[in-house]
Parts: sequence; structure tokens; C-alpha cells
Amino acid sequence: MKRTVAEINQKIKDGDVVVMTAEEVISYVQSEGVERAAKEVDVVTTGTFGAMCSSGAFLNFGHSEPPIRMQKVTLNDVPAYGGIAAVDAYIGATELKLEDHKGYGGAHVIEELVSGKPVRLKATSDGTDCYPRKDIDTYVSLNTVNQAYLFNPRNAYQNYAAGTNSSDRTLYTYMGKLLPGYGNITYSSAGQLSPLLNDPTLRTIGIGTRIFLGGGVGYVAWEGTQFKTNVETKFGVPMGGARNLATIGDMRGMSPEFVRALNLPGYGVSLALGVGVPIPILDQEVLKATAISDEQLFAPLIDYSTQSRNRKPIKHFSYAELRSGRVELFGKEVRTSSLSSYLKARQIAETLAERIESGEFLLTEPVAPLPADKGVGTLEVRSKEEAV
Amino acid sequence: MVKKKFLLGFSPDIVNEPIVYRLVRDYDLKINILRAEVREVGGRLLMEVEGKASNIKEAARYLNDSKVDVQELVTYVEKNEERCTHCGMCISICPVEALTMDRPAWKVRYDSEKCIACGMCIDACPPGAMKFRI
Repeated sequence: MKRTVAEINQKIKDGDVVVMTAEEVISYVQSEGVERAAKEVDVVTTGTFGAMCSSGAFLNFGHSEPPIRMQKVTLNDVPAYGGIAAVDAYIGATELKLEDHKGYGGAHVIEELVSGKPVRLKATSDGTDCYPRKDIDTYVSLNTVNQAYLFNPRNAYQNYAAGTNSSDRTLYTYMGKLLPGYGNITYSSAGQLSPLLNDPTLRTIGIGTRIFLGGGVGYVAWEGTQFKTNVETKFGVPMGGARNLATIGDMRGMSPEFVRALNLPGYGVSLALGVGVPIPILDQEVLKATAISDEQLFAPLIDYSTQSRNRKPIKHFSYAELRSGRVELFGKEVRTSSLSSYLKARQIAETLAERIESGEFLLTEPVAPLPADKGVGTLEVRSKEEAV
Repeated sequence: MVKKKFLLGFSPDIVNEPIVYRLVRDYDLKINILRAEVREVGGRLLMEVEGKASNIKEAARYLNDSKVDVQELVTYVEKNEERCTHCGMCISICPVEALTMDRPAWKVRYDSEKCIACGMCIDACPPGAMKFRI
């Protein structure tokens, strides 16, 4: 059995495409078998909704009269990067509000823009012959700006370590509040619904792949930062953080339901973002990979009280165990929490399936593949000579 | 027997009154103190009270006569349903399991009856859906 993306798109146009979510396909394969399921199912949709710190938005504000070359830019008093052309800026999700931030940052500005709310723009400049204006204080919204698109260097991590805390004080981390004495475990993956766990070697996902991003349409722009392939696998799937995607997509069309600012006190601000990737069932192997379930997917458990990049996993848990709400650790029952929303992941996969079935979302072939073999380097304090 | 939750407010001049002792001895109430604090402006005491309905009523009258501000509480902590993403971060934080995951719907359910107002969920909730009502 073989299928091409072009054939699937024709079926979408003809209204005969068969789409299932990565959750639905599990029981379908169990009852019908891989061979039959691969013949029946054209597309499997995935979804994830979790904290994706490496996200941000490019904005073009339009020119003022007289024009200004913005050097220092803030949006609702959150600094944005203005070191590009005159009225372009990039606001990062984790940037904190100036002065007393009270848990407010770039992610909140992004959520407010997506919600259609006005945002206060302040900018200053030295003034030049071509851009004489030295400051501006005004309001902008998604309606007034020329471009507003998310361009996220690292989204939809293939897998991610779960966190716990062996120390005697509560830790406030990007994995949430970790209670002392192994008081809880937090994890962050949609597991069996997660995009890159359903196509573990990225056979169908590459540069240019059209995806669901924040409720609207987006694309895979590049390999995500810290993309790596050399991670131990089980059932063909990495048992820790491995591949991820750099994504891009118009903020117009996105929804605050899938673009949500987060505040993790003691750590900072982050952005919860919904990402969904359609997987074209090109052959039986592709289908088989999408039928993987939480029982076969594993996350390493890391002790966040060890403040080193060389933390070794305490052990591995399956997502079925983590999702059950309780696991056993050192003979003690420990409760678990998810940082990513399984409910939203499911809604994303279902919405994407509906969009494909209705003909409004066509599948794409990658323009270029993402790296097949890649590791991640570290940062050392080194001399100029050693850096070359 | 009835169980009720009260927030008591004390002005600085009555902070030294052994209020809880009187409630236990004179009105035969079972008291579970959930939060207690004394500040420049006076004190606050959040407690769960169990006893005969008539005794609770009389105790409330005694407190009023003693110039203690008495407020009965139904909900300590509120969950903003629009803000909640149902991630479940709060689940392993709540010491009394007032917050639980409803499976297989994967929605976070909040039972305010079980809540003891410890406030641990409030700064643990990433999208900021949990807020103190008091």
C-alpha cells in the first residue's frame, strides 16, 4: 500500500478523505490491524498545547508622520527588539515588563494582540535625516499593523523530561512548582497525540509543512533550535527531548484559545501554544508509527534540585503511568501533574481533522527535509582561539 | 451537626482575646484553623467550624458582641473557567485533592467544598486561573 500527498489532496477535494486523530487511530489499528487501517486511513492528525518559551512575534507597525526609526521599542511596557528596519520589531514570549513585572510579559502582549485588544506602543530614536522623529506613544492592534506573525525558534518538542525535586525546599521552575522531598512530578507532552512522537523520524514533516498553529494556519520554517536526533529510543521513539520545529504563522486567524500567556512564578513568563501537524499516511510504516500509545512512550525523570546540565535521569516512566495521576518512586506514591493540556491537544487534533475533511486545509510535501543526523553542542567559557 | 467556614476579622485591640478557646468551651464547637495572621491593621482567622446549628448561631452572636467581624464563606478560591486550560498543573499541588482530573474528558474539576484555602494552587497555576476570593 502506497499513497502520495497529491492523491490525498485529491481525496480531500473530492470529499472522500478519511481522517482520524492520533488518539482514534490507536483503537482502530487494534481492532482492524495495521494493514487494513493503512488502506482505510489517509491522514492522522496530531496536536499539542504546552509552554513553548521559544516563541515570539514579528510586527510591522507602519510609518508615522514624520517617520521614526524605532531603536527602543516597548509594547505595554514590555521591551521588543527593534534592531531591525525602522518600524519592524520582534517581541519574545518570555520578555518581562519593565519595572515591577508582576508576572506580565511578551506572551501576554501576544495573547492580547491575538484577542484583538489594543496594545500601547512606545518607541524612541536618536532621529536621523531620513527618520527625524525621536519618540512616539500610541496604540496598535492586529487591525492597525501591516504584518503580525509568530516566528517561533523552538516548538512542539518531540518528547520532554519530567521533573521532580529531591531537595527540602519548593522549587519554582519552568516545569512548574516542584514540591520538596519528591513531593510531586510534572511532565509536559501530549504523548500519543503529540506531533513528532507520531512521526518519530520525520518522514512526512519537513520545511514548508503546513500545520495548525495557535488556531490558525502555520508552516514549519526550519529545524527547531537544539534539534537533535542522537537520543536513545524505545519502540522507535526517542525517550527524551530530541527533534522540534521552528514554526511560522500569521497571527490573524489565531485564537486566544490556543495562544495563552503563562506565568510561572519564580521562573517567568511563557507562552502556551497549540500546534497540530497532519500526517499523510504514505504507507503502512507511517500508519504504524501513528498508532503508538501512551503505554509505549517514555519520558525520563529529572531531579531539578541538581543545578547542572549533566543531570542523569532517575528513571523512565511511560506516559500512561504519568497520565494516571500517581506513580511509585523510591517506594512512595507520588502524584503527577501535566503542564501541557491533553484536552486542548485533543481539540487541536479534532479541529485539524475537521478542517481537512471540509476541504479548507490541504496537505503539503516538505520543500526540504529536516536533519536526519544531528547532535547538540554545549557552551563553554573559552578563549578566542578555542572558539574557532 | 453542621459544618461551616468563617473568616473572622479582629481589630488590634481585641487580638489578645482567646476567641477560639471560648468557641470550643462555651459553644462546644470543633474548630479547624486554616489560616491565621496578625498585621498592623488587626488579625484574620479563617476556620472551619463543626457543631450544632444553634451553637454556631449563638457563637456568631458572641463574636459580633465581641466586635469580631464575622463573614461566612462558601468558596475560598475561585477557578476562572475561561482562563483554565485544563493542563492539570494544580492536581499534584493541592494537598486535599479539591482539584482533580476528570478522565477521560481530561478536564480539571474543582470541588470548593474540599478546599482548605491553603492557596498553593494560586501561584502554581500557569495561566492564572485560580484566585483567592477573600
